[in-house]
Amino acid sequence: MSAKQNSKKFKWALDFNVSKNADIPSPLGYNPSALVNQSEVVRDQRLVIKKSWDLALGPLKNIPMNLFIMYMSGNSISIFPIMMVGMMLIRPIKAIFTTQVTSKMAEGAQGTGQRIVYFLGNLANVALALYKCHSMGLLPTHASDWLAFVQPQTRLEYYGGGVSFV
Amino acid sequence: MQEKWLLAGLSVALLISTCSALYEDQIRKFDWRGVNVGALKQSRVDLNHFQPRILVSTNEGVVASLCVKTGELVWRQVLEQKPRGDIKLLQVSGFSDDSSDTAAAPMGSNLGFDMLTVQGHAPALVRGWNTNMGALEWEWSIMPMNIERAQDAMWIYSKSVLYHVLPAWRSHLEVTAYFASSGHSTGSTSKVIAPWITPESCTLSGTFYVCTEGKQLISLDLVSKSGQVIRTSLETEPNEKTQALTGLNGVVIVDGKPISVNKEQSICGGLQSSSYAVGSFNYRKILAFADLSSGILKINALYLDNCAPAAELEQSLPFPKHFGTPSLNNFDCKQKRNGEGKNCLFLFSTTSESIVAVQQGRVRWSREEALANVIDSQFVDLPLADTEGTLENEMKGKAGDIASAFLRRITTQAVQIRSLFLHVIGLGPPPTATQRAGLVRDSFGLHKMLVLLTRSGKIFGIDNVSGKHHWQLYLSNVSGFANNEQMRLIVQRSAKHFPLQPLCTILGKNAVNGNGVLYRFNPITGQVAEGGLVQLDYKIKQLSLLEETEKDFVKGILLIDASNKVHVYPEHATPLADGMYLYTADVKSAELSGYFIKYAGGQLSSTHIWNARLGGHNSEQQIIGVAGKNPIEHVHSQGRVLGDRSVLYKYINPNLVAFVTQAPDSTHKSVLNLYLVDVVSGSVVFTMTHRKVRAPLSIVHSENWLAYSYFNEKLRRTEITTIELYEGKTQANSSVWSSLQAPPMPLVERQSYILPTIVEALRETITERGITNKHVLIGTASGSIVEMPWHMLDPRRPIASTTQGREEGAIPYIPELPLPTESHINYNQTVARLRNIYTAPSGLESTCLVVATGLDLFVTRVAPSKTFDLLKEDFDYILISIVLVALTSGSLIVKHLASRKLLKQAWK
Repeated sequence: MSAKQNSKKFKWALDFNVSKNADIPSPLGYNPSALVNQSEVVRDQRLVIKKSWDLALGPLKNIPMNLFIMYMSGNSISIFPIMMVGMMLIRPIKAIFTTQVTSKMAEGAQGTGQRIVYFLGNLANVALALYKCHSMGLLPTHASDWLAFVQPQTRLEYYGGGVSFV
Repeated sequence: MQEKWLLAGLSVALLISTCSALYEDQIRKFDWRGVNVGALKQSRVDLNHFQPRILVSTNEGVVASLCVKTGELVWRQVLEQKPRGDIKLLQVSGFSDDSSDTAAAPMGSNLGFDMLTVQGHAPALVRGWNTNMGALEWEWSIMPMNIERAQDAMWIYSKSVLYHVLPAWRSHLEVTAYFASSGHSTGSTSKVIAPWITPESCTLSGTFYVCTEGKQLISLDLVSKSGQVIRTSLETEPNEKTQALTGLNGVVIVDGKPISVNKEQSICGGLQSSSYAVGSFNYRKILAFADLSSGILKINALYLDNCAPAAELEQSLPFPKHFGTPSLNNFDCKQKRNGEGKNCLFLFSTTSESIVAVQQGRVRWSREEALANVIDSQFVDLPLADTEGTLENEMKGKAGDIASAFLRRITTQAVQIRSLFLHVIGLGPPPTATQRAGLVRDSFGLHKMLVLLTRSGKIFGIDNVSGKHHWQLYLSNVSGFANNEQMRLIVQRSAKHFPLQPLCTILGKNAVNGNGVLYRFNPITGQVAEGGLVQLDYKIKQLSLLEETEKDFVKGILLIDASNKVHVYPEHATPLADGMYLYTADVKSAELSGYFIKYAGGQLSSTHIWNARLGGHNSEQQIIGVAGKNPIEHVHSQGRVLGDRSVLYKYINPNLVAFVTQAPDSTHKSVLNLYLVDVVSGSVVFTMTHRKVRAPLSIVHSENWLAYSYFNEKLRRTEITTIELYEGKTQANSSVWSSLQAPPMPLVERQSYILPTIVEALRETITERGITNKHVLIGTASGSIVEMPWHMLDPRRPIASTTQGREEGAIPYIPELPLPTESHINYNQTVARLRNIYTAPSGLESTCLVVATGLDLFVTRVAPSKTFDLLKEDFDYILISIVLVALTSGSLIVKHLASRKLLKQAWK
């Protein structure tokens, strides 16, 4: 249909895609199945799986590097450690939320497993970042962090008096 | 070691640099000082001097010169504290009894004097003053042999000689004469035998020593050589103590009648008045006398030589009630400039301790010297403006459904718009008296009415921003209580309950029969409220404030009388007294008693529930200090964060009262004991003993801490001890506090510091919610008020510089506390004889209102954590608005330009 329209539009254009007689037999000695190498297909499949495993294990592989950065940045609260911790916290969380998109690129037999591994890896990174926050004292885990919300005790007895006037 | 000190020094330096001080342009912006001299003792009005002046000496030990026209101080010299500064004699040259006598010496010689004062008794100091500048020119002193007897010594001045009259009661008089300006004795001491003399019956009038005995006056001329005894008989036995009439030698006033015992001094008969004064008029001696009858002050005068009335001086004027009863102190007359007649100034001292100047039939000026003895103070919120009042009403309205609330809101806003419109076109309702006076609450609650109660019974309503006296009230015949307990000023209803007016009450003692007196008034207008003066028929032993009533929001006053009966005023608040606890402390025996108040069957009853004797084993200890917490205090933070981020919970016992007792000790000279007593249960929470330590004691108690200053006799310096109480790392009961359910004993932290000054008063700052840091205001003997942050006084300041301490933010312990000049909140406005400091919260959380009282009055405000909730005064509004406008308009223009460019590009 479109070819027809095309042919109408462009009078002088040649369309090689449209054969006038599509059911002509293949030439002699042409074996359509011979073109696809079976082992190639299998290798590609493996490559895809490998690639997607790489992707899934990426967060886990990041952990040693993150540990090293954490160690290097120290526990003092200043702009660079805070920025690093922020990045460490935000990146895996973002990644978790975009798991669907990432995993679409590598849908395969082991998709579910990869997804789980990817998710767990990111969780591990989040946990690491939280640990860093904790060791920097940024998490409200102590009683002192909630001190401002402690209500004063209500008193039951009231007194008056003082030095005797008589 | 050196490193440690360096660190400590550094941290102190850092802290000091963070102290907020006043900028130069902030001076007098929100502080003011009132300068007083005290109640008038002796005065000399001198209008004919080349520099007209009034020289006064006062009961507070002050000599001063006042401006004749306005009554302002020309100069003032505050002498030593009593008894050393007690002025016995004020002699101005040219004002001697004999006109022939002139003490003024030739210019340049150091023998003469302008003015001479004699003060104190051991030693007695004689001082010559330059009256133009108030400078001390010379001084000599005598030390009497017998100090106790010297207390009754009197001084007279006659013909350049100063006579020291020392009575030995019921025996004799010792008279010693000294040359006034050199102090050289003129001869030996003469003894005059006079076995009839007693302190109650005798006075010294000029050179005559006059005593009453029955219906007789027995007098002696101390200067005459003969020493003969003169007896003058009286018509009736005198009811009051005789008084000398200053200015006339040998004239005494007996029951309002002047009587002369001096043959050379005649006095007109048939006179009867409450006060007399002698002066000169038309070069003749004149006797003026003044009487107050039904609000009209009448001044009359007689020529002394022929007893003819001096009609020119006679005048009468309405005398305001709040001055009390006047008493003529001195007067002087001056020829008018155009030569027609004379102009006289009469100086009165009054029972309300005012100094009143009367001239030409009206009060020319007055000085409120009662303010030199302020005994209680309250900051009262000002009333709301009308519009805000209706809004407040709406907020308070308890009407439930939305429709009616909406309708009310609409109507109030319509009313507001209408009143605004009327106001704009000038047809609005006239402002009320308080609004006209500018007495309307400001948005930050910084503008308040400062109500001051003074020892003389005069009450003042003063604007805390401008220092203007809005009203005065005078309560006569009301005095303070026994045991040196002063009258109380109580706010029974605050200004929060809009249509209802605020209500204050004064609690005192009837000076005549000793029964209790209540006086209720409106603190904004100074008008009597709800019956005014109420004479109770019992003696008040102690009092307490109750909760607000539901009906009229009045806080009832619970009174316990001498026979332990309980009364509540007003009576409809009686049920609220149920379950109250009361304690009384006997100062002399150091005995505490606790009472429980029960309300059953319409009857109040008190049960004595506990007793505590702090007198020690031989009952020698006497209570010298009692300190409870401020009942309006809020504690925001319930604990303290330690270095390891755990919490040390504060021991905040609202019923804790600190008692300090002192007793002489055989081995340690003097012992001071501190007791922290829970006055509901009577349990002693903590005690501490200081040896070789004595009063003067100042004490401040707040939140979970206590600070008190005392004098260390061993090391002869003032020290301040601080105590903090903690519950520990856990709270035993985080929701309620009951003293009766055996609360845990606190952990006590304590530390002492050295203060390089003498402390007269201590007070903590207080704010609305208690979020702001607490500072301690230290009033020093030199009259300055130092703001000391609590972290300097903190007992947890670590002695060894540990990591924990550093992480807690505590500075290492240094025994000496610095008093940097930046933290003197009254910069150079020293408060003479500083006695007390009062603090009150303002509407701003950051700011605390302060009034320091003493001889002077200083009112200011402090912001312990700086004004974090307020823009700086020099905030650049213009720059900010310009930048904002520029940025907004810039972005709009750029947006427009950008869209045009895009369009153009699209067309390419």
